[in-house]
Amino acid sequence: MTDSISTIGVGIVTVGAAYGIGRLAAAAMEAIARQPEAAPKIQVSMLIAAALIEGVALFGAVVCLLAK
Amino acid sequence: MTPAVDQAADALAAKNAALQEFIMHHMANSHTWTPFPFLKIELPSYLTVHGVMLVLAAVLLLLVFGALYRKKDAVPHGLTNLLEVLVLFIRNQISIQFLGEEDGRRMAPLFCSFFFYILCLNLMGLVPLFSSATANVNVTGALASVTLAFMVCGGIYRNGPVGFLRAFAPRGVPWPVLVFLVPIELLGLVIKSVALTIRLFANNLAGHIVIYALLGLLMMFGLRALPAVGLAVGLFFLELLVCFLQAYIFTLLSAIFIGQIYHPEH
Repeated sequence: MTDSISTIGVGIVTVGAAYGIGRLAAAAMEAIARQPEAAPKIQVSMLIAAALIEGVALFGAVVCLLAK
Repeated sequence: MTPAVDQAADALAAKNAALQEFIMHHMANSHTWTPFPFLKIELPSYLTVHGVMLVLAAVLLLLVFGALYRKKDAVPHGLTNLLEVLVLFIRNQISIQFLGEEDGRRMAPLFCSFFFYILCLNLMGLVPLFSSATANVNVTGALASVTLAFMVCGGIYRNGPVGFLRAFAPRGVPWPVLVFLVPIELLGLVIKSVALTIRLFANNLAGHIVIYALLGLLMMFGLRALPAVGLAVGLFFLELLVCFLQAYIFTLLSAIFIGQIYHPEH
């Protein structure tokens, strides 16, 4: 039973992370469209932020695996 | 429920349990290495499968960079060209950009080692019947502790013990705030390396488990689950991208963290 509950938890974490990365990507696209010459700098900072958000989601996945 | 349905459900549950055990067995570290089907190599007690992968990757990289990478040629050819693009990218876009011209050139070998070693381990994990050493938290923890060592020892070496500690107390902050801020900043040092560890480890582990789980559908439901193979192949290519991306992210974040310590308040 704890199995399925931890799985639901990781689902909720994924929703949050997906929302975060979605907003991040949308903002980065808009920024690149407005200022194409700044694209490399925006891409690097976007990747860093995406990695940090992704880290949270993966924490959730690891906790889900450990909670079994 | 009818007995027939009960039986079918029980059979599925048993298959599910067997499948989970199979997946966990393949992801976990062990002393038996199967490089080819039906060929089992029992490893000595001081060596595990992931240890073999680490050594193999190191030997492979030493061979590639020692024998095939000809820096001295006037006109680089073939593999040298490919590797030089990556090395120059790491030196110019990661190392020099976040550590400054002088430190960046000096630290570039570290970041090149990080990038190529992690990339090699990640890609070896995708070769069938090899095992992914970066899906082991001990391996990524060791890699991240190299970054932590450079953050602490390098920071002390470069700015002196006082300068290193002063970086944790930003100027112009009233002292009641500092009481809370300094411990948090000190904790941040550890949290950054733990985050590096978990990111690399969990990315690889999760990717491999998802591929295994999709292929496992085939074992559970037979040929009806054939479309899952297509999904698994698609995910495999996503994993290929993730291999490069995670090696890049690890190197990039290491450079940023070390750069923050080397050049405080910058």
